[in-house]
Amino acid sequence: MAAGAVCVFFPFFWMAATSLKTVPEIQRVPLQIFPDRWANLDNYREVFHRQPFARFLLNSALIASVSALSSVVVSSLAGYGFAKFRFPGHGVCFFAIVGILMVPFQSVVVPLYLWINRLGLVDTYAGLLAPDLVSVFGVFLMRQSIEVVPTEYIDAARIDGAGELGIFWRVILPSVKPALATLVIVKFMWTWNELFWPLVVVNSPTMKVVTLGLVSFTNMYFIEYNLVTAAAVLSIAPILAVFLVCQKWVVRGVVMSGLKG
Amino acid sequence: MTRQRRAGFFFVLPALAYFGAVFLLPLVESVIGSFYRTVPGGASRYVGLRLYDKVLTDPTFWQAVRNTVSLVVLSVPTTVVLALVIALGLHRLRSLRWRSVWTAMYFLPFSVSLVAAALIWQWIYDPVYGFLNHLLAGLGVPPQKWLQSLDQVRPSLAAINVWVRLGFDTIIFLAALQAIPSEYYEAAAIDGASRWQALRRLTLPLLNPQIVMVVILELIFNFKVFDTVYATTQGGPAGTSQTVIMLLYDTAFKYFRLGDASVMAVFVFVSLLLVTVLQWRFFRRQVEF
Repeated sequence: MAAGAVCVFFPFFWMAATSLKTVPEIQRVPLQIFPDRWANLDNYREVFHRQPFARFLLNSALIASVSALSSVVVSSLAGYGFAKFRFPGHGVCFFAIVGILMVPFQSVVVPLYLWINRLGLVDTYAGLLAPDLVSVFGVFLMRQSIEVVPTEYIDAARIDGAGELGIFWRVILPSVKPALATLVIVKFMWTWNELFWPLVVVNSPTMKVVTLGLVSFTNMYFIEYNLVTAAAVLSIAPILAVFLVCQKWVVRGVVMSGLKG
Repeated sequence: MTRQRRAGFFFVLPALAYFGAVFLLPLVESVIGSFYRTVPGGASRYVGLRLYDKVLTDPTFWQAVRNTVSLVVLSVPTTVVLALVIALGLHRLRSLRWRSVWTAMYFLPFSVSLVAAALIWQWIYDPVYGFLNHLLAGLGVPPQKWLQSLDQVRPSLAAINVWVRLGFDTIIFLAALQAIPSEYYEAAAIDGASRWQALRRLTLPLLNPQIVMVVILELIFNFKVFDTVYATTQGGPAGTSQTVIMLLYDTAFKYFRLGDASVMAVFVFVSLLLVTVLQWRFFRRQVEF
């Protein structure tokens, strides 16, 4: 177990070590594991110098935060509606939403791009965010979590004269805080790591997100790996920090999606 | 009562409207778009099944399908079997602290973007300065070309996907293992079952739903593989790592043949749907041991 875990971890170490090396160090024979100078941050400086990488990080942070928040709001509303109400078309609507899990994003990307183009949203934050505002996983997760909130609480609040939105806000949301946390974190990670849609919808360098920025350090013929790894560290560090701090919630999300199918 | 019902509908309305606009409507448009040829200048013309005929007889397209299937075949069984083995191993660890440390390490690659993962591995695979060839040289093996080799490019890409997905599958299996009551094993031990028998007749059948689900998730994930290929080989060398989604992307956004791309979009949608449905129907029973 330990040996396997170390193997799985090794690429991370190798990335970090390479990002601190100079080009001659990278090309030295025999292979050199550790950098000569651990405090050599020249590669990182060069990354920021060549590309507006700070802007990329900012763009990603913005997109990921907005998508996480909007996803939580819409998903918990819908989750509540599906878990605790029976309205005409209830089953069909839920089935339709879960069915979307079966639709690969790439199958809808062309018409979606044409719409974004028609609306003049290519190369804007709104355009970048459009397909990421809500995820089916979120609706599903919130429905599962809200289902186990005792209906008596809701009835009691109703007898006390609380409005429907008031019940949602004061009874439902506080009792599903763990699920809310899971959704925020998972959705933030997903949006941060996304490549396909940004690739389609972004043209100008200032609107690039961090995954696009990373790709821009490569080309077919010649790759400066000391810079690529530095950029990779920069792109991974924030998400890894979030992940390590909130790992419990991410695992919960995976298990929820796994056990319930 | 009706007031409440209406409230329920209003709660789900934003989600319905959003998914309708962003997924269902474009999906319908994709299907419709696959019957129209868009002429430069903007006008589109109804051409019936002509685009299907064109795309589905195009050797480039089938090459991409074969490459994709080969990537799926290389990575899905590897990921699932490895994840099962690791989950069983982690489950047997007595120290809870070490178990969570090792689990976290296996899970770490899952948090990273596929682009970053692919680039880290491209550096490890580098034919001249890459770590892997250095390692092999220590064992007396001559340098390999990995991502730049016609034969090794797909296994190398598959390995990246395995690395990324392993932790995700492991965690699902581990959670399922922890949900199995220990009384089952005690009963099996009293009946004189060996460890191997307990695994085959007890653990694996109980994990059946998770195995089926993980296989489906992995099939879908690997069939849609794009990021790793785009970041490293761009489909090369000589088209040997060109996948269906890569081809779809190029067709739509490089060559602007939107009709052709729509045909591929429908193809991807239908094949994933078929795979999932077939799996639920047959594979479910076959995994019984």
